[in-house]
Amino acid sequence: MVNDKADVDDISEKVINTGCCHDCGGRCVLKAHVKNGRITRIESDTDSEPQLRACLRGRAYRQRVYSDERLKYPLRRVGERGEGKFEKISWEEALNHVASNILEIKEKYGNSAILFVPGGGNQGMLHGVTPVGLMLNQIGGYTRMWGAPSYEGALFASMATYGTMMTGNARDDLLNSNLIIMWGWNPANTVWDPGTSLWLARAREKGTKIIAVDPIFTDSAAVLADDWIPIRPGTDTAMLIAMANVIITEKLQDQQFIDKYTVGFDLYKDYVLGREDGQPKTPRWAEEITTVPEKIIIKLAREYATSKPAALIAGWGPARTTFGEQYSRAANVLCAITGNIGINGGYASGFMRAYYSRESRSSVGKKKEGPIGRGNEKIKRKKPRPQDNLVDFNAPPRKDALYKLRGGTNPASTRVHFNDYYNLILQGTKGGYPADIKMAYICGTNRLNQYSNVNKGIKALKSLEFIVTHEQFMNPTAKFADIILPANTFMERNDIAVPWLGSPYYIYLNKAIDSLYESKSDLEICRELSKKLGIKSSLLDLPEDQILRIFTSPRKDIKSYDKMKKNGYCKVEVEEPFVAFKKQIKDPENFPFPTISGKIEIYCEHIAEKNNPLMPAIPKYLSHGEHYDSLLAEKYPLQLITPHNKRRTHSSLHNVPWLEEIEPHAAWINPIDASIRSIRSGDLVDIFNDRGRVRIPAKVTERISPGVLCVYQGEWYNPDENGIDLGGCANVLTQDSYSPGGAFPLNSSLVEAELYQKKQPEGKL
Amino acid sequence: MTQIGFYFDQTRCTGCFTCSVACKDWHDIPAGPINWIRINSIERGNFPKLFLAYLTITCNHCADPPCIKACPKSAINKREKDGIVIVDREKCVGKDECGFKCLKVCPWDSPQFSNEFNSKMEKCDLCVDRLEKGQQTICVEACPMYALDVGPMEKLQEKYGNIVETEGFLNNDKINPSIIFKPKKT
Repeated sequence: MVNDKADVDDISEKVINTGCCHDCGGRCVLKAHVKNGRITRIESDTDSEPQLRACLRGRAYRQRVYSDERLKYPLRRVGERGEGKFEKISWEEALNHVASNILEIKEKYGNSAILFVPGGGNQGMLHGVTPVGLMLNQIGGYTRMWGAPSYEGALFASMATYGTMMTGNARDDLLNSNLIIMWGWNPANTVWDPGTSLWLARAREKGTKIIAVDPIFTDSAAVLADDWIPIRPGTDTAMLIAMANVIITEKLQDQQFIDKYTVGFDLYKDYVLGREDGQPKTPRWAEEITTVPEKIIIKLAREYATSKPAALIAGWGPARTTFGEQYSRAANVLCAITGNIGINGGYASGFMRAYYSRESRSSVGKKKEGPIGRGNEKIKRKKPRPQDNLVDFNAPPRKDALYKLRGGTNPASTRVHFNDYYNLILQGTKGGYPADIKMAYICGTNRLNQYSNVNKGIKALKSLEFIVTHEQFMNPTAKFADIILPANTFMERNDIAVPWLGSPYYIYLNKAIDSLYESKSDLEICRELSKKLGIKSSLLDLPEDQILRIFTSPRKDIKSYDKMKKNGYCKVEVEEPFVAFKKQIKDPENFPFPTISGKIEIYCEHIAEKNNPLMPAIPKYLSHGEHYDSLLAEKYPLQLITPHNKRRTHSSLHNVPWLEEIEPHAAWINPIDASIRSIRSGDLVDIFNDRGRVRIPAKVTERISPGVLCVYQGEWYNPDENGIDLGGCANVLTQDSYSPGGAFPLNSSLVEAELYQKKQPEGKL
Repeated sequence: MTQIGFYFDQTRCTGCFTCSVACKDWHDIPAGPINWIRINSIERGNFPKLFLAYLTITCNHCADPPCIKACPKSAINKREKDGIVIVDREKCVGKDECGFKCLKVCPWDSPQFSNEFNSKMEKCDLCVDRLEKGQQTICVEACPMYALDVGPMEKLQEKYGNIVETEGFLNNDKINPSIIFKPKKT
């Protein structure tokens, strides 16, 4: 929609209200200046507070839209998979080819042979994966997977402890905290809702103490925090448990809160004090494991327990580890035993969603309603609806799933974990997997790059009969496709994006320009492909705006669709900042927690039923075969972590010059580790383990803990003839396994680093 | 005479580069050596006792700009009404012919040049196009941390005080840069 208030010199120039919606912690306002059908400049929110100001990524979007590297027309592979050799074909040819392959595979092997590989590259509700899923369901479904790399550990822990994802507080409530602990949380780079860093700064200016726990001296630790506590990766659970030890030993817990609102404290206490296994989880014990000095653990525990209200914000990064769900569970429990839940200035950790109109209708705050899980046999439907996937329709729940609870994002009937899908493809039913996969339909994701173990992924993708992808750029995954369908960007279509986690607003993305080259929207692609698949009528046939009206109609917080479209956003007015579990704490009789017991579950009976020692019913610290103290650490002594950086959103925006120039890709290594390997900043280093080898420049910096090596995730895989990745894709080195609770072990890899080539002197005449 | 200048809150700057990208987009400057607004990082100490601060650097539109005196062609001028220092690129003879005379006298390396032979000087013009329409500069409007402000110096001083030095920035009271700070303390 045209911004009529826009102050522009040239009447041929219009300002279109749109927004940014890749898979980051944002969703921000963009105002595109358009002249003669071309975007000339981008501004952001200048309207009422709180403004949804875009970060550098949204500001740089013009260079992404007009990049020379955009895919311009449909492509058919002519070289080997991965080689990147393609020929231009027409849309008609491309769609016919895709349709005939889908129908042939469906006919020959059944729908379960079709693997849908969706991703979050587009966060609008209409484009990206939405139309593809609808279309594939209309032809009988597909094999789908469960688990999200970002948060699966935090989600599991949130469900197990609280029975819901709605566990966060609004950001402006941070002003009420006496102490904020940013644990493995770097909102200065990852945003975590627009305005989060700003609220943290304001809280600090008001006198709130902020402490960061992180293996890296992040921008958040450096700028937003008063103190930084470096910690060995993957050992956060041990420190949190030791903090509980201090709190219990010194009787600093909120016993009244514990008695009234929680179950299982005594069992946890037995574990923490060592009555269960003979090992008291003292700060001394934790110092050995975490490298955090005993006295710092004691000090932080005391400070947290006595500074009420205090907010422990447990980021998702430390949960992206083997047994990552134990970290999130331990953090949730610490919030509970100090009584920091359901009060202004406190925080429950958990999944940390603080506003979501769709979910708020269901799971939280309903009176006397038992939990019912998605996939629970009790809610079997007799007849499938058009949106149901017939391949796993009415399948019994996955044994390890928390299927008796509802409100999570994973259907419990889905069999295969997302980080296990290369094994699914390579082993099929012979290996005990539920399907024999013959083709992959990829949309909205640079999946090969962004999931663990790239080299195994290459083998898996090479084994398939057919691969199709919607893409904007020739990324490492697209190189493996047989057909690439060029998708347009969000500047070239209408869509609506819901906020990420904690803010009450919507973004309406008005189409700013026509589709460039021959690209089409995901909706248009699926609309045309549906016809070729023999689908007679479909929701997808409706105009964009009509579908968006249908999608948003249940959301009662959008007072006027038309106003939202005109403004490019809908900022929802809320009476007071959302505080998770306020009702449950004020009126527990009428508002039980949406767990099975109706209380905060320090001990979770639903987990205990699984009888899996690697998934204990109370949070526990567990080591594993690729931990710092494992045998493998003798061969690969450095712990690899793969966080987000400030200039990309995962692997999107990789190739934007304005962003690329601000932070060259490099492996961060501490001077202690660098010097024993004769590595200096700028030297090319090899980072390797049994899964692969990456060759990138080193950045020797005091900002990273000794023993830790950091390769920021999202840089594109670019192998040389020997399979050595010169791009620096972190997932060449990560393990394609998963935790019993579903956590992706993206920060649990051991590696070694060695000098490959000294930095070349600057060119001299 | 009114002097327009900057306020920079160093305690808030997370080094996110949003101001810099917004500036390049608004003024249509390609990736490369020309940066009307730069972000320096100041890092000190050894693990785990570290200090890190960021500093944005533009043209400081000095009260007595040395670049004006150094320019052999009088291509640099200070606007009477608001003290904004403007370069007339028509008059600039180019870096190689001139020998970077303006750059050499600027304590903050504010004059910017492309890699092309004899490229002409350019620098922060305080978004005069925007200010004249009553808008804020693009960097101020873009900053997610509200760490930047632009306005008449007396008004900024009234609002924020008059601290003229910060981490990574030494004042020069002979030329009097038009910038004040909220410094980050060690």
